[in-house]
Amino acid sequence: MRCRSVLTRIDAMRTGELASTDRDEIHEHIGDCRSCNESVADVDVFAQTIKSLAAAPPRSCRDAVTGKCSDSYARITASGETVWVAFTDRGLRMIHRGGTLEDVRERYANRHARTLTEAKLPEKFRKQVEAALRGEGVDDPQIDWDDDFSGIERDVLKMLTRIPRGEVRTYSWIAQQVGRPGAVRAVGNICARNVVPFVVPCHRVVPASGGVGQYAFGSALKRELLKREGVDVDALEALARKNVRFIGSKTTKIVCFPTCRDARRIREENRVPFQDAAAAEQKGFRPCRKCQPFAARTTSSKSRSSRVSS
Amino acid sequence: MKNSWTGEAVWRSEPAEENLAVAVHRCETGALERLIDRYERALYSYAYGILQNAFDAQEVVQDAMLRAHRALTRQYNEQRCIDLALRPWLFRMTRNLCLNKRRSKTRALEQPLETFDDGRLGPFVRHHGEDAERREDAELLRRAMGALPVEARELIVLRFMEDMSYGEIARTVGATESALRGKVFRSLKLLRDALEKKGVTHAV
Repeated sequence: MRCRSVLTRIDAMRTGELASTDRDEIHEHIGDCRSCNESVADVDVFAQTIKSLAAAPPRSCRDAVTGKCSDSYARITASGETVWVAFTDRGLRMIHRGGTLEDVRERYANRHARTLTEAKLPEKFRKQVEAALRGEGVDDPQIDWDDDFSGIERDVLKMLTRIPRGEVRTYSWIAQQVGRPGAVRAVGNICARNVVPFVVPCHRVVPASGGVGQYAFGSALKRELLKREGVDVDALEALARKNVRFIGSKTTKIVCFPTCRDARRIREENRVPFQDAAAAEQKGFRPCRKCQPFAARTTSSKSRSSRVSS
Repeated sequence: MKNSWTGEAVWRSEPAEENLAVAVHRCETGALERLIDRYERALYSYAYGILQNAFDAQEVVQDAMLRAHRALTRQYNEQRCIDLALRPWLFRMTRNLCLNKRRSKTRALEQPLETFDDGRLGPFVRHHGEDAERREDAELLRRAMGALPVEARELIVLRFMEDMSYGEIARTVGATESALRGKVFRSLKLLRDALEKKGVTHAV
């Protein structure tokens, strides 16, 4: 056997990576060839020596990398509610009520594929979360509208932030406003899965059929939140029982949602209840420009297909 | 595996935690930190072996870690993470980043001075005794390595510093095992020649 073919395999012998037939061949050759025999020891010594060159980086990249691969969380309590808040420097990313830190981590990892590290919630964000929990409403919520929101999810949640405090809208109204009038059920699902509840007020959306409807944290809390914001839930339910969905004013001939701030200041003697948009229009009423009550008109197929710009 | 010469067990660098890739994929707490702690030094040595520049090597390693995290958490599904051969994968990624960096560097003609690039000022002060001699040898070895072609440098690092098997090296650099045995042998020969030129006759 030629020396060369043996020499190239000496190193693989060192780690036992050769087949037994190869090994026998090489052992045999080594017995006869002195120079190859010396190389065996050489390679071994070299393998030891070269390790001294293994260098550590001047500065570990650990903090830099983990910093870029994880976001922050904090625990916030206000008005008897305690929530986990996940955030980046761009804004809030998740508000989680109840559960353990592990639940939050898991949910966050599923959604954002990132880990969480405890940090202090910036003052601006903290004020908003606390105000939302107290039912004070948040004008311009700092949400990190990242790419993990789907298109319609982002549209719907952004629309929710535009429902004024103390007012409610229906699921179909939201669907209409985001230009997807047929997606009423989808709006319901998005509200139920809202990752930033309280701050993005999904509790301000109620079923057109009346009542406060369902809530991710139970109807009782939804009712409580609405009450804290100043919605007269009982009166709203009383109207729903009488099948009244809009309130018009005799003096202005304008028709509103019952919770619209303009509807609430109509005097008792001027209030005109309506069951649907057609009845109001027939009597010469026009829809309020603030609450746009007829956007949710889903009774006729014609309005179903027409898109209302938001 | 056993050393076929002596029959002793082959010393291997401490094995990585099983399913580390899956742990990172699931965003388990501390998984990314463990990944970095386990591989940062090795990848840095490798990157340094290719680039011969501490600053670039560090940058490449950080970039590789970020990319690894992104791939494991965002791009790969769980099954792919289970099947992944993590070590060759990380080294291959580092290798590609190094080669990209080298290419852009050569083009930009901004190769820095080689003598002052490893984050230290070098052995200006002579010590006496065995310790100093060893340090000098290490310095000569380092210089000799710097004089080798890139391919030789990276193979020596993978094989002798990282103790990779030929199978793993094959997956990292993309060559057959038998071709690699020849290449590693030739790299060793080159290194020995370089050292002899510098007057070191022992150690290799």
